[in-house]
Amino acid sequence: MANDLMTNRQIVEALEARGETVGALSPVGVRPPLGEYIRRLWERRHFIWMDAGHRVTNQNNRNRLGNVWLVLKPFLDAFMYWVIFALILGIDRGMENYTAYLIIGILMFRSTMSSISSGPGILSSGRAMIRAFSFPRASLVVSAEMRSMFQMFYSIPVMLVAIIVLPNHETPEWTWLILPAVFVLHQILNLGIAFFMARIGHIVPDASQVMSFSARFLMYGSGVIFPVDRFLDNQVVSVLIQLNPIYHMLALYRGLLMDGVVPPLGHWLYLAGWGIGLTVLGFVFFWRGEATYGGDE
Amino acid sequence: MAATSESTIVDGGAGADERWTAPAESPVTVVAHDLRMRYQVLRTDRERRKGWAGKVARKQKVSVSALRGVSLTVRSGEFVGVIGRNGSGKSTLLRTLAGLETPSSGSVLTSARPVLLGVSAALIPDLTGAQNVKLGALAMGLTPNRADEVFESVVELSALGDSIDLPMKTYSSGMAARLKFAISLASDPSILMIDEALSTGDATFAERSTRAMDSLLENAGTVFLVNHAAQTIENMCSRAVWMERGQVVLDGDAVDVARKYRWFAHNLAQGNEEKAAVLLRDAMEEGEPQRGAAQLAKPAVLDVERSVDRGEQAPEFEPDPFTRVYDREFSPPKKSFPGMSSSDEEA
Repeated sequence: MANDLMTNRQIVEALEARGETVGALSPVGVRPPLGEYIRRLWERRHFIWMDAGHRVTNQNNRNRLGNVWLVLKPFLDAFMYWVIFALILGIDRGMENYTAYLIIGILMFRSTMSSISSGPGILSSGRAMIRAFSFPRASLVVSAEMRSMFQMFYSIPVMLVAIIVLPNHETPEWTWLILPAVFVLHQILNLGIAFFMARIGHIVPDASQVMSFSARFLMYGSGVIFPVDRFLDNQVVSVLIQLNPIYHMLALYRGLLMDGVVPPLGHWLYLAGWGIGLTVLGFVFFWRGEATYGGDE
Repeated sequence: MAATSESTIVDGGAGADERWTAPAESPVTVVAHDLRMRYQVLRTDRERRKGWAGKVARKQKVSVSALRGVSLTVRSGEFVGVIGRNGSGKSTLLRTLAGLETPSSGSVLTSARPVLLGVSAALIPDLTGAQNVKLGALAMGLTPNRADEVFESVVELSALGDSIDLPMKTYSSGMAARLKFAISLASDPSILMIDEALSTGDATFAERSTRAMDSLLENAGTVFLVNHAAQTIENMCSRAVWMERGQVVLDGDAVDVARKYRWFAHNLAQGNEEKAAVLLRDAMEEGEPQRGAAQLAKPAVLDVERSVDRGEQAPEFEPDPFTRVYDREFSPPKKSFPGMSSSDEEA
């Protein structure tokens, strides 16, 4: 720390000058170097895995239906938007399968939305663990994102069944096999967002209030419900939308599932660039605050 | 649980003869250098302030010091008890030494990663005790194989029996504390810090935990124990540190320090505030050379200047709480010791 009056080296020397036996002493409560931090995080991989798994299976313990909700929730979500936008408002705009368009948009956006809106609360909800054990706090972020990934293992089958069953029925094609590639990039994007949100939420707790609004705003700006690019003539706005990684992510999902073609490389590069960039920068950003996460805020 | 009464560890069988004696010479394991900890806290006036502004602003940011320059050097094989009244900075000191909180200034060096066992450390309530054991072991960085190996001994030490398969939210506070203690020992720490957590255990557990701590100390470990029952410290520890308002009052032989503290606390509990203030002052004066010796270097900058350097604008809540203690003419008014509960110390 900058305002330290004595360096650790000097402390050890002062002790030795007094005739104390001093072995190898290392500082605590300070941020470890990045490499060491990553190594410790890797050491905690079993913890992250188990924590995420338990939280997925236990989150519905208090409900009568228990883990049926893992399937029921994405289903109801999709159903609700389908009733409002497809049945009542009838926004199909001449699309051949608006139902599939909507369901893919809603279910795949859900997990990114939860990274944005629940990301700021990750550290405060992990307080008990933070106070009890010393481990790299990034574990909590990774574990939260892994939990949302496990939930996707339920919502993706729901989505696939829904778009096959509901009119106009999609038929599985070979491009569906490429889905995991988009899924991986999607999860990387979520992780990057969560690293940023977690530290921002720790610095400014109000972020969790604001973020649930910006997540909804993003929902309309990413073409989740209707093809936003068809509605807009404004150049600036359409450029902004082109920059939005979620827009490209949905374009990839829809291209593979609905059109049966591999979407153009541009979409892939955008999503991968954003995802990897946000994750690397977000991780460094989060690491820089590591020493502050234990404090009373 | 078959225990008839939840009692403190003192009644649980740890007699005066079980006091730990530290070895004469051993390597340093924990060094704290001039630790200071401040929190920015919102203070709310109980009554509205006068005037127009008082309608709007009743809150004010103040800076509360929890630690005011604590320096400690602890060697292996020492069993250090930390005593002091509520709010004297005991728990903050322990959390800082354990590295769970970063001090506002100063530094802590340790020879190994300390493991802190706190009261508030509720694990995951929805999981069973057994699942929490696994998760806690992994969080401390054990490999899954190692976690499986230690599992039985953790369950054994916690003395929870079949309750280990029930969700942790159904546990009593004593049971939860026992489980957490057992988990903390699973990583085989060489520096263990215990924050009042053991005082909720029953007799069986008290004996097992004392044995566990003794073996840790015999293996050249270091144990810190925070407890506001000074009797416990006196009975178990080799060294005691008396904290008051974020400073070390006395640091030395456990029996000596704990007795002085108890006499002080007893007077306070009896309402002899004046007498208590005199005792505190005497102890402060007695501890002065120790505090000087514990400091590895003279602090070059005054505290006030330092906080200005760091751009903290919030006024200090209690700039110097000890001026009153040193002022022999000053007779403290009633309630001059806030945060005093009558059950705090009654020997």
